[in-house]
Amino acid sequence: MTGNHDGRMRLTVLGGSLGSGKTTWLRHQLHAGHFRDAYVIVNEAAATPVDDALLTRSANLAVLAGGCACCEGKADLIALLRKICDARSRTESRGDRLERIVLETSGLADPGPIVEAIRTDPVLVHHIVVTEIVVAVDALHALMQLRSEPLGRRQIEIADRMVITKVDEAEGATLSRLVATLKSVNPGAMISGTIKGSGVDLPSSDDAEPEILPDLSGETDRPPIFPTRLLIDDTIDWSAFTVWLSALLHARGDDVVRVKGVVRTSAGRLLLQSVRKIVQSPEILPDQNNDAGREDDTIIVIGRGYRADDLRRSLRYFAGVGRA
Amino acid sequence: MCASCGFPAAPGHWTEAGAANAAERLRARFRRAQVLQTVLPAYGLTAYDGALVPGIQISTLSGNQVIARDLAEVWAAAERFTGGPVDPLDPRFIGGEDEGR
Repeated sequence: MTGNHDGRMRLTVLGGSLGSGKTTWLRHQLHAGHFRDAYVIVNEAAATPVDDALLTRSANLAVLAGGCACCEGKADLIALLRKICDARSRTESRGDRLERIVLETSGLADPGPIVEAIRTDPVLVHHIVVTEIVVAVDALHALMQLRSEPLGRRQIEIADRMVITKVDEAEGATLSRLVATLKSVNPGAMISGTIKGSGVDLPSSDDAEPEILPDLSGETDRPPIFPTRLLIDDTIDWSAFTVWLSALLHARGDDVVRVKGVVRTSAGRLLLQSVRKIVQSPEILPDQNNDAGREDDTIIVIGRGYRADDLRRSLRYFAGVGRA
Repeated sequence: MCASCGFPAAPGHWTEAGAANAAERLRARFRRAQVLQTVLPAYGLTAYDGALVPGIQISTLSGNQVIARDLAEVWAAAERFTGGPVDPLDPRFIGGEDEGR
């Protein structure tokens, strides 16, 4: 992404469970010349860091060891990011300034709270915009983790981009099933495959059935999650829509698992994404017609505990305010 | 940023992304206030955004008042004032035009 973020630095969050290949992927990206100008922050839950030895190619590297950045190490992370912002503010904006930060989280981290912490910090929010959450997905173990680990599933749910690692170690059928399952858990994210960090093609998942994942929230009597398609046509303006959606997420953020879609506004085509109550800053997409099969003016709401028709009627009510 | 009141708030609450220039931003604020002024009275609250001062004023009928920076704060304030969230799926919003209002 090369967009202008009003001078703010771009932050890429790299997540994924323990041993899923985050560092390997990042090392290859650095080797290939991506992120070379970036400040790389590696967070490790253990007190003795290892990963930094593998990432010698980056120009700037900091290690936050001994505390996961989404919980006990959050203060350290915020302090470090503020220091980076401070140093950047002292350099001339016309010269070579730091424009990108890559944060490799520990395998135990939920990227959600980290992104939330950066967005709500009164200093950082003026300096940093989170542009992408990349999550490494282990081709061999991801299905098992999705079945049993709530954290593993949260990491997948929040991803903008999923990188399936160790593709060569899994069989074709397992891989197709994994891809289909990932698409059902997080339909909005891009999926790519890698072997030791370099990109490879993934088998088609069109014929594969996604696995029906058990409910991990501990409330087994709750209804299943289902998607609802909402048409955002000319009668629904952005202001009314945001009033409606922000209220919906505030009141029912635990039920509405995910919202995604592209809405046309006077500022351009906006890619809207939310995970639970967190809405990412809408990204302005280039003004061209349907890329990658994306449908404009349609919002998908994935959740439960309501009727699809009620969503539509409620949105129509909000958008109809003040219109005869 | 105003040193007295701390406004403007953090740049780019996601709900403010749909306007390209100052005029559109102003129009979006008025429209946002218009929707809020229709929705909130059902909960005994009023909303006011005169666009001269930053933020949206939320008041209760008893005069309790708060200035919310963005919509997320509006709903948080509404919940604090009324003891429960403003639910867009409440029957009064989905039950048709003549019910509940």
